[in-house]
Amino acid sequence: MNLNVPFALVGYIEPWWMVIIKSVVFAFIGLQLVPVVLMMERKILGRFQNRYGPNRVGLYGVMTPIADIIKLLSKEPFRPKTAIGWLFELAPILSITAAFGALALVPYGPVVDIFGTATGLYGIDVSIGPLYVFAFGAISFYSVMLGGWASGSKYSFLGSMRAAAQLISYEVPQGMALIGVVITAQTLSLTGIVEAQQGMWYIVPQFFGFVVFMVASFAETNRPPFDLMEADAELTGGYNTEFGGSKFTLYFFAEYLNMIVVSGIATALFLGGWLLPFGIHPPNWVAPFIVIAKMLAFVTFFIWIRATLPRLRYDQLMSLGWKVLLPLATLNALITAIIVVA
Amino acid sequence: MTFLFFFIFAGFALAGAAGVVVLRNPFYCVLSLVVHLISLALLFLLLEAQFVAVAQIVVYAGAVMVLYVFVVAYVGGGDKPDQLWSASPRQKALAIGFGSLIFIELAIAILGTALSSLGTEGATLSATYGTPAEIGQLLLTDYLLAFELASMLLLVAAIGAVALAGRRGGIAEDEGNLSPRHGVVHTPSPAATGSMAEGVSGYGVTTPLPDPQLEGRELQQPARTAAEDDR
Repeated sequence: MNLNVPFALVGYIEPWWMVIIKSVVFAFIGLQLVPVVLMMERKILGRFQNRYGPNRVGLYGVMTPIADIIKLLSKEPFRPKTAIGWLFELAPILSITAAFGALALVPYGPVVDIFGTATGLYGIDVSIGPLYVFAFGAISFYSVMLGGWASGSKYSFLGSMRAAAQLISYEVPQGMALIGVVITAQTLSLTGIVEAQQGMWYIVPQFFGFVVFMVASFAETNRPPFDLMEADAELTGGYNTEFGGSKFTLYFFAEYLNMIVVSGIATALFLGGWLLPFGIHPPNWVAPFIVIAKMLAFVTFFIWIRATLPRLRYDQLMSLGWKVLLPLATLNALITAIIVVA
Repeated sequence: MTFLFFFIFAGFALAGAAGVVVLRNPFYCVLSLVVHLISLALLFLLLEAQFVAVAQIVVYAGAVMVLYVFVVAYVGGGDKPDQLWSASPRQKALAIGFGSLIFIELAIAILGTALSSLGTEGATLSATYGTPAEIGQLLLTDYLLAFELASMLLLVAAIGAVALAGRRGGIAEDEGNLSPRHGVVHTPSPAATGSMAEGVSGYGVTTPLPDPQLEGRELQQPARTAAEDDR
């Protein structure tokens, strides 16, 4: 029984009620991962800097993110006099919407049997694959841009302008880096790409693609060393300077969700998704845990880089994107195409 | 359900298109153009053209409009657009002529084929319709010539952009702070060489170049000496 959606075919194999349950569950997983990542970041950064990290709230400080969220949500909603009302309200909502939309693509497992119903352990499996994520990336750009512009503050505006230039520069090499994977797997569907990695994870044959994709992803998610739009020493805080309370929470969550989404996509594209190496075939119910473990490994890598590398200068960022990453990604796509065809 | 979505998105598309023309603030004009483009993408989705829909969002909303937003947010953004020029009678006549031509063309299309197909079910689609694989197949077989010509056009545009940017050859020693917009801040960009602010304000094209001897001299003097000290 297929779900009769009026939109383009997205390959639902479940009945409609399962699709609804699935969306709620995956949204929940995403939301639950955010505090985990938040806590990981603080603890790991603390260890990198030779200190304990937060350890006051709860056992070993595990309740710190909860305290954080309660603090943020109970703050007074404040709006600068120069802000443009409805855009100021809309921008954070756009940001979290785009993040959740992209989250739907992360595949957690193959099609399994739940209570006698065949269910794919993924939000959606579209034939356009990673392009779907890029579409939401375009929308999240507007949330940053509108947030900075509608704040009516120079610093926010400068931050969002930097973001604009950075996002359009790094979208190109990020997309080009994926072409190698797509050519090798001969499909755009993420579950198809994972299944095609049975023999070998694509991190091995597509190593250059992987490196370019990761560097571009750091820039796309505005993580250090590419967090120029939030460079606090120059811009006080970037596009979200004027946002407080629950609006800031939305931006904050969206930023971490974007990091989780990129980790999930990278897991599916390069680390074989729910597959394990050395011919180990665990039962299907283990698959989501494997994916989440790999995603958290990526997140740890993000944090590691943040603790290690200093921030780039703005012109370095631009020339890295256009003069190094883009030619590398193009060359990678070209060579892959020649090898696959020959 | 499809009908409901169609009318919602069509409404947004029309409202966005109207907003581009009607709104006075250029930033809002650009935003409503974005709304229009995204609604069009959703209409493409209803037609099962997923690849076209995503390409629409990534290329138009994600790249082209980003540039528009960029420029307008930097140099535009006032409540009233600058009255840089007013259309001459000849331009008005041309505009009316082209407008009515498009109207006639659309009327022919609607009255000729679109109306008669209203009551029908529409074409039957294969399961792979609108997927990237099918589009790629068509582009590299049936429409190869058009595809290659379009890529050549883009290549020419890219080379042209590089050549234009290269011809300026940087900033010469004696070219100082001539641009009247920048005031005391020393920005080493000679006037009328195609900076973004000039492009939007029409500076150097519709307004005569200022005489650097007369205009803004007091303002620029300290900045220029400071820059010379640095050298």
